[in-house]
Amino acid sequence: MAHRLRRTHRNPDADHKHPVNQAHYEEATTGERVADQLAAAVGSWPFIISQSALMVAWVYFNVWGIFVAHWDPYPFILLNLVLSFQATYAGPIVLLAGNRQSQKDRITLEHAADESDKGEEHITKILTEIRKNTELTLQILRELEAEPV
Amino acid sequence: MAAESSVTPARERVARQHKHPVNQLFHDEATLGERVADKAATGIGSWWFLGIQSVFIAFWIVLNTIEFFTHKWDVYPFILLNLAFTIQAAFTGPVLLLSGNRQAQKDRLRLEHTAEVAEMAEKATVEILEEIERNTEATLQVLEHLKKRRTARGGAQA
Repeated sequence: MAHRLRRTHRNPDADHKHPVNQAHYEEATTGERVADQLAAAVGSWPFIISQSALMVAWVYFNVWGIFVAHWDPYPFILLNLVLSFQATYAGPIVLLAGNRQSQKDRITLEHAADESDKGEEHITKILTEIRKNTELTLQILRELEAEPV
Repeated sequence: MAAESSVTPARERVARQHKHPVNQLFHDEATLGERVADKAATGIGSWWFLGIQSVFIAFWIVLNTIEFFTHKWDVYPFILLNLAFTIQAAFTGPVLLLSGNRQAQKDRLRLEHTAEVAEMAEKATVEILEEIERNTEATLQVLEHLKKRRTARGGAQA
């Protein structure tokens, strides 16, 4: 069991077993897929590291760059605009990802309700069967009591 | 009360001590990148971070406005502080998504685990039902046997 989990652990494209995962990942619309990929790309170490490298390079070339024009000298107003631009998009992307998760949460609960109905059905069946059994056992008791000792 | 006493120590539980297979896979077997991601999210999303940031901003503004301090590196309207804020926001977004992705990963993992557990539980339930049905069948046979015996005896007595 743990082996299967370990295999699907980091792979959202894996064959899912749970119907909610199947509905959420394998039957996602194009817009939903793009939203998931966007969230995965922006929320990743490569993105954060490249952004840091870009920032350092920007500041470096505008302060000490010898062969290039200082296109955005101290206090780096253009860099500020670029980063604000990024933050303006990052906010909605965060919400997009959050909405995907809340959608999944909703489906999960609906599925849980279905499952609990099924479970109740099973329990009712078992209870009926045990009642039947008890009834028979009581009949046996009466039968035995009626016998001459 | 009983729930509190079992959950409270779980809150204190440290890594590599988890009982649930999803927690084991997710926390105890996390890669370095995943561990750092979790730490970054916990670090930024803490009162310590908020407090230190507030103190930092207050110092920045005070040192750049009050006449007493001579070396002012970012006078009104604090353009460099603005850049500092933007840099913080530019990193908070991706870290937020990083942490969100981690949670989504855990949610996915948990459901997969649930599916496996549910499958086992259903198998067990069906087995229980079958066993009880067998029991009923046996009891019924006992009853029939007794009834037959009584009729036979009744016939003999008559």
